[in-house]
Amino acid sequence: MTESLYKVITKEELSQFGYALRETGTIYAPVKTSKESHSFKQVDTLTEADLEYHRTMIPPKKFFISPKETIFTFNKEKEEYNETPAVNEPLVLFGVHPCDINALNLLAKVYLESFTDKYYSERRENTTIIGISCTPDEYCFCKSTGTDYAREGFELFLHDIGDRYLVRVGSLKGYNLLQKHASLFREVTEEDLSLYRQAEKKRLASFTKSLEMSGLQDMLDMSYNSPIWEEYGEKCLCCGSCNLVCPRCRCYDVQDYIDLNLNTGQRERKWYSCMLKEHGLVAGGHNFRATSAERLRNRVNCKGSLKEDMTNCVGCGRCSAYCPAGIDYVEILQKIRGDIE
Amino acid sequence: MSKPKLGIFSLTGCGGDQLQILNMEDQLLDLVSRFDIVDFQEGSSRKVDGDIDIAFVEGTVSTEHDLKKLKEIRARSNVLIALGNCAIEGCIQSMRNGETTLSERLKDVYGVEEGFFDAKLSKPITEYVDVEFSIPGCPVEKEETLRGITSLLHGDSPPYYSYPVCVECKLNEYPCVIVEEGKPCLGPLIRAGCNARCPSLGLDCIGCRGPVEGAENFAAEYQMLLDKGYTKQDIMNRLRVFCGELGDDFLGGGDDE
Amino acid sequence: MTESNPLSPMKARITEIQQMTDIEKLIKLRFQNKTDASNFKYMPGQFIKLGVMGVGEAPISICTSQSDEPGLELCIRNAGRVTKALHNLNVGNTIWIRGPYGNGFPMEAIEGKDLLLVAGGLGIAPIRGVLQYALHHRELFGEISFLYGVRCYDLMLFKDEILDYFRHGDEKGVKLYLSYEDESDKVCYDLSCERDDRCTQGMVTKLFSMLDSKSNNSVSLIGGPPIMYKFTVRELEKMGFQPDEVYMTLERRMRCGVGQCGHCIVGTGKSIKYVCKDGPVFTLWDAMNTKGMI
Ligand SMILES: Cc1cc2nc3c(=O)[nH]c(=O)nc-3n(C[C@H](O)[C@H](O)[C@H](O)COP(=O)(O)OP(=O)(O)OC[C@H]3O[C@@H](n4cnc5c(N)ncnc54)[C@H](O)[C@@H]3O)c2cc1C
Ligand code: SF4
Ligand code: SF4
Ligand code: SF4
Ligand code: SF4
Ligand code: FES
Repeated sequence: MTESLYKVITKEELSQFGYALRETGTIYAPVKTSKESHSFKQVDTLTEADLEYHRTMIPPKKFFISPKETIFTFNKEKEEYNETPAVNEPLVLFGVHPCDINALNLLAKVYLESFTDKYYSERRENTTIIGISCTPDEYCFCKSTGTDYAREGFELFLHDIGDRYLVRVGSLKGYNLLQKHASLFREVTEEDLSLYRQAEKKRLASFTKSLEMSGLQDMLDMSYNSPIWEEYGEKCLCCGSCNLVCPRCRCYDVQDYIDLNLNTGQRERKWYSCMLKEHGLVAGGHNFRATSAERLRNRVNCKGSLKEDMTNCVGCGRCSAYCPAGIDYVEILQKIRGDIE
Repeated sequence: MSKPKLGIFSLTGCGGDQLQILNMEDQLLDLVSRFDIVDFQEGSSRKVDGDIDIAFVEGTVSTEHDLKKLKEIRARSNVLIALGNCAIEGCIQSMRNGETTLSERLKDVYGVEEGFFDAKLSKPITEYVDVEFSIPGCPVEKEETLRGITSLLHGDSPPYYSYPVCVECKLNEYPCVIVEEGKPCLGPLIRAGCNARCPSLGLDCIGCRGPVEGAENFAAEYQMLLDKGYTKQDIMNRLRVFCGELGDDFLGGGDDE
Repeated sequence: MTESNPLSPMKARITEIQQMTDIEKLIKLRFQNKTDASNFKYMPGQFIKLGVMGVGEAPISICTSQSDEPGLELCIRNAGRVTKALHNLNVGNTIWIRGPYGNGFPMEAIEGKDLLLVAGGLGIAPIRGVLQYALHHRELFGEISFLYGVRCYDLMLFKDEILDYFRHGDEKGVKLYLSYEDESDKVCYDLSCERDDRCTQGMVTKLFSMLDSKSNNSVSLIGGPPIMYKFTVRELEKMGFQPDEVYMTLERRMRCGVGQCGHCIVGTGKSIKYVCKDGPVFTLWDAMNTKGMI
């Protein structure tokens, strides 16, 4: 087959495509929910979505690892437990940004590399991801982290090039989707290509925040005893928000609950955060990260480390945008680099 | 095995925590059938002396009589649980401690001198006796209380929340009212467990579940609110309502101004 | 690789319980399902997640070495919620297991070497597995010395075995050295009189002076509380051990055991490790590369 993996769809026809996608699965798209926040919510038509959004407060990882879920229910007398069946409903995530796609790719590695997480893999298989290009705001620095472009991990990617989108195919599933709705798409023209060049130029020029990455890991290591951690630790409320909104954080907690009959109950998994006091606490009372400064240092080091040549931070800006204390992750690292005082 | 003996006691307070237990309509019968209830003021007139396996105590110590009763309960009980924020931190009853003295208050309200009542400065029971566990809330959450009791029956300790309201706020995807509206939310200081009830309505948390154990971030919250333009008085008033004297302690006492 | 949820446990039954000290029990168990039993292959130093439904799970070292006999032995200290619930179980009760997890000690890679084992307190649990393995494959290893530090006789774990090694170890191929902290401990004092070249009052580090000098073909394997590592490592360095000749097993808070939940994280941007998955056994060289490990 020599079919091109690039197509074009007009903005007018996109809503039709959205309509057609309902056959593929339940559609979730970014919807404005408050002054500063968007959320991936179920929509019937794309008109309900705000495709010009900057970021959702909670990233799309919520579709793959639920914020709260029952792993299994148990019955002590019967000496058995029943795993919660994985959700098999097909989903379409419409309008996912490159940072979030890259974050999902890395998250999948954590969940699938050594032990296959049945839930994660089934959910990913049942999901169609349609990416979309974006314009950075004052918190975005994905260009610095190299995650402003999604190479893989999506079915189709829409590049906004004015009154139309350049459509990039990212998987066979995406290719088949295009074939299925072929009448809505057309071939790329020389004009489209030049619009794409312009759009990319404009997008790249609009970043206001940046962070140099080279040598960062060594600088972090040598700053282990830096007063910076105390300085920000004092401001930090240890509320956990930065981790809970981070598309790359994966920490979770597991807890059991028993019913009043003392026989049945369930084991639950919940998102957790390394900024919380008990993250490093062990029996007997020793806490490996007892202070807010130590926990902040751990968080920034975890995010600043590399996973297969990609930093564990995808530059989405959420942690800074949603920190009630106004602590800016990039500012901390700029200080570590000595770029600012 | 004989049923564990359970006592539910009230000192000075609104009785709301006992009421929450009575409100567990669906589980109440099942629950009481698992215990030998030796004392439950709001639920039954039965009173039995002797040792108690598990005692719940709500309210503050506000009179000499309260104190005597508390010490007796402690002496009789194997496990003592502070039920609700009055018992844990003093709650609303202790909110002016450190601001006005008891005799000033008696004079303001009754126009008489101290000594007329056997009144004491309202303090949580934790000021006077050791407690094995506590179940927070003003009033306590039904679900959490039930889980606590169930865990005890199961030979385990009651689950507790070591993290703040913000965690539940984010897990439920509620927008942050500090970030979005600059409201003086106390969520970062306060024990989770209410499923972020106030932020779910777009309201700032006023702290009714009391501060997270060993909260080390009072100063950070205080500074953050000052930076947002709230005055020291605003902030202290807020903190005092449910954080008892802890707010003062963390900020180094009710000093200057 | 398991093709299901890594958090799903296997069923086992308790076959024997021994009260070892006031706070430690040895629990023996056997898998309920034959395939679970035959699939369960482990190395000394690996651990399992041991669970009680309705309470939770705790990481526990397997304190034996794999043998033909089916079943596992675990030495459990009553230290909190889950371990208390484990202590409340009786023979015949069900218990839930996930694992084995972690890397374990590299027994095959260190074949042919002299072994210096150092254990403090509960750290003996994983080290006991190492010793069993080495004695079981005695011809594969050189000299074996085992330093064990206890607070007092009452808190000594595996007393019978330890005393047996103390008195007859040399015939079995292991030299056992014992240290005790409590000066008023009568039993330990008697042991130190019995063999003053093998037992002394003090910290485990005091035993190093009793050792011959390091052979050029030896490795050290350590298990103990966090504070023991710093001092032990100092002694080992003095003896001339290279950083890649020292293996230690670390303890951190753990939830998942499979590298997902993040609780056991350690390190900096340069090197992040998850103790459950990348460890729990690390070399001193790993520790030099990963800040905060010891
Ligand atoms: C690799 C490894 C091997 C271990 N081997 C043994 C052993 O052989 N015998 C033994 O008695 N103990 C061992 N421990 C320590 C044991 O896991 C803890 O004592 C136990 O988890 C305490 O749990 P708890 O619920 O009783 O305590 P709580 O204080 O009630 O802890 C609550 C939860 O915190 C976590 N937690 C607390 N302490 C620890 C800890 N030290 N390590 C990991 N998670 C913790 C657990 O998830 C636990 O469920 C080991 C720990 C690790 C990491
Ligand atoms: S660390 Fe902050 S900027 Fe980076 S991915 Fe996480 S939330 Fe986004
Ligand atoms: S350790 Fe902290 S920063 Fe790293 S994944 Fe966990 S919550 Fe996120
Ligand atoms: S969001 Fe801000 S205040 Fe909250 S834990 Fe993170 S850095 Fe601290
Ligand atoms: S609204 Fe309040 S509780 Fe919620 S995240 Fe913000 S500060 Fe925390
Ligand atoms: S215990 Fe979960 S990552 Fe190590």
